[in-house]
Amino acid sequence: MNTPKRGLSRRELLIRSGVVGAAGLSLPAILAACGGDDGGNGGGVGDLLIENWPEYIDLTEDDVPGTIDRFIAASGVKTTYSEAYNDNLEYFAKIQPLLGTGKTIEPDIIMPTQWMAGRLRKLGWLEKLPTDKVPNAKNLEDAFKNPPSDPTGEYSLPWQSGIAGIAYNIDATGRELKSIADLFDPAFKGKIGMLTEMRDTVGLLLLGLGINPSNITSFDEAAGAFEQLEKAKSNGQIRAFTGNDYIDDLGLGNFAACIGWSGDVLQLGTDNPSVRFVVPEEGATLWWDTMVVPKGAKNVEAAAKFMDFVFDPVQAAQITAYVQYISPVKGVREEVAKIDAALADNPLLFPDDETKKRFFPFADLSDEVEAQFEEAFSGVIGA
Amino acid sequence: MTAPVVSRVGSLTRVSSERAGLLSLVLVGVALLSVGARWVSGTIAVLILVLAALVVVGWITLAVLGSPETKRALAPYGLLKPGSMWLAMFYLAPLWTLLTSSLSAKKTRFDVFPTFSWEFSNYGKAFSDFGPQFGRAFLYAGIATFITILIGYPIAYVIAFRCGKYRNILLGLVVIPFFTSYLIRTIAWTSILADSGPVVNILNSLSLTGVLESLNIMDNGKLINTPAAVIGGLTYNFLPFMILPIYVSLEKIDVRLVDAAQDLYSSAARAFRKIVVPLSVPGVFAGTLLTFIPAAGDFVNAQFLGNPNTTMIGNSIQDQFLRQNNYPVASAMSFVLMAIITVLVIVYSRFFGTADLA
Repeated sequence: MNTPKRGLSRRELLIRSGVVGAAGLSLPAILAACGGDDGGNGGGVGDLLIENWPEYIDLTEDDVPGTIDRFIAASGVKTTYSEAYNDNLEYFAKIQPLLGTGKTIEPDIIMPTQWMAGRLRKLGWLEKLPTDKVPNAKNLEDAFKNPPSDPTGEYSLPWQSGIAGIAYNIDATGRELKSIADLFDPAFKGKIGMLTEMRDTVGLLLLGLGINPSNITSFDEAAGAFEQLEKAKSNGQIRAFTGNDYIDDLGLGNFAACIGWSGDVLQLGTDNPSVRFVVPEEGATLWWDTMVVPKGAKNVEAAAKFMDFVFDPVQAAQITAYVQYISPVKGVREEVAKIDAALADNPLLFPDDETKKRFFPFADLSDEVEAQFEEAFSGVIGA
Repeated sequence: MTAPVVSRVGSLTRVSSERAGLLSLVLVGVALLSVGARWVSGTIAVLILVLAALVVVGWITLAVLGSPETKRALAPYGLLKPGSMWLAMFYLAPLWTLLTSSLSAKKTRFDVFPTFSWEFSNYGKAFSDFGPQFGRAFLYAGIATFITILIGYPIAYVIAFRCGKYRNILLGLVVIPFFTSYLIRTIAWTSILADSGPVVNILNSLSLTGVLESLNIMDNGKLINTPAAVIGGLTYNFLPFMILPIYVSLEKIDVRLVDAAQDLYSSAARAFRKIVVPLSVPGVFAGTLLTFIPAAGDFVNAQFLGNPNTTMIGNSIQDQFLRQNNYPVASAMSFVLMAIITVLVIVYSRFFGTADLA
């Protein structure tokens, strides 16, 4: 998830947030992310560096310690948390020259989306997790056990999960949306946003065409979605392909509607009631980001401690209450109920079985098919 | 050259001094290039660098101990040395790497170092897949350059001729946007031009939206994410690069020439046309190069102010390098861009001439 607009670096994102900050959005949150640098003194297991997506963890606010500070206090591990993971492809391009030639990268934990974790595993760029040092991994929800990206479950643990559905600003649409077809309504010409994350955009369009993205095995099966996308792009229906920054455009009403990620939109909706998120009647795509340890990481043990910490339902609930994504940890719902009862009843955070049937993970594509998809997608989105 | 003096150590004749100077320049340049372009590596690279350092030391020795004539002959090569070393290391070497990369092929999808194999098809792909982006890059850059001349020339003219002691303050104001990052200035436009932003609101209340839409400047009520916004961003960002060179060439003009023309019963307009314009052509020429070339390769404006149908070649190169990991095709695209710009500049300078540029 969370791909920013094409080629937007961490620094640019900060600058952008700074500008938008004037409009009252997320700057404090980002600045607060820089906190927590005065942690413990190593505790004998070395320092931990985590690279995660932007705004993807609860931060220390008004003296309420965030997860990182709570982890530092509980474990004594000096932890540095960075929001350097911005885009799966961009991050991959950055680490490839290093991991691909047997060198190491700095972070001990990175959080690629599940399919990217699968790619890293197949390339042999991940360390096995010391599962015996993560006893809380027993709390892993069954749905996330042994996914195709990590069939033995030895290399990755889910961080957060979410869905890509339709986000809209009712001030700009003037009506409620409920179908994927609404994205192609000519009234919204030039006011539609789609994601640079291929699986979310294409997956949703496939659902709109009545095709289950979980069962795709060849490019031809998805060709219809690419045609639809190409057409919407050429005739000016689509305003921009973005990553995380669709949030700004949606809040400002530049986007009447866009494909968005559940947690982001729920967070924004708290401040701006005009912004809504809907699971389209055709269904939505399900994704999850994973915690993995890159090959040759120096502090595997500290990494395991962190994973164990966030798989404690009490801690996980704090993260869930803040980021409002689906938690992969069992028992979180009960803990969230203690923090915010309404949140525990939100079907987007804690979907019931009926709702779950409408969430579709994207198929695990073979290397060759994935290359075709990526090339076609990069061709359409116009760079 | 009278009686050649060879009594002092290292003193050489004029011709051989020049040869020695040139040779040292070339040797150092080639040495840095060969290391930078990885023709050599490891111990050999270290040896070559030591050798290059020795050549520099040798040159300095000659220049210090040589006769005045030797010193004079060596001086220009010494002055050229920092520049040529810089160019060899940071221009020629990367250019070479880019060239080999553009003719390479990836053996596997996630190949880190593409293999050199005279892969000319990369160039075919650069043209066939990214033709529209090339076209837009030159179209937008061309229009933006033209508009910067229209806006920049009058500003430069007024500052140069009509502002007396306020000149420096006004020039400072022209440069002041550079105190803020290029990126921030561009992103700021996204807020200014936003659909619910101040500009669109004013246009709406003046009922100008329809007019602007029929002029293709606005599109379905939006000012941003349109071709006009991209061109506007380019114009805004590169305007100072047009104003400053024009100002320099105007400022050099002797106003007495204009007075003389008017004494000879020329109208003010004619004096402007016959005297000021021809004398300021070098400034316009320099400004055009400074504006057009970077604008054609720009990707920031198209990224923040454009839409998926306004991407320029810079966006494609960036995407191919940094997201698709397609170094061979990205390198080929960079070369094609450089080639087209070179040709355009040569043609352009044929028409405007560079003789007076200095």
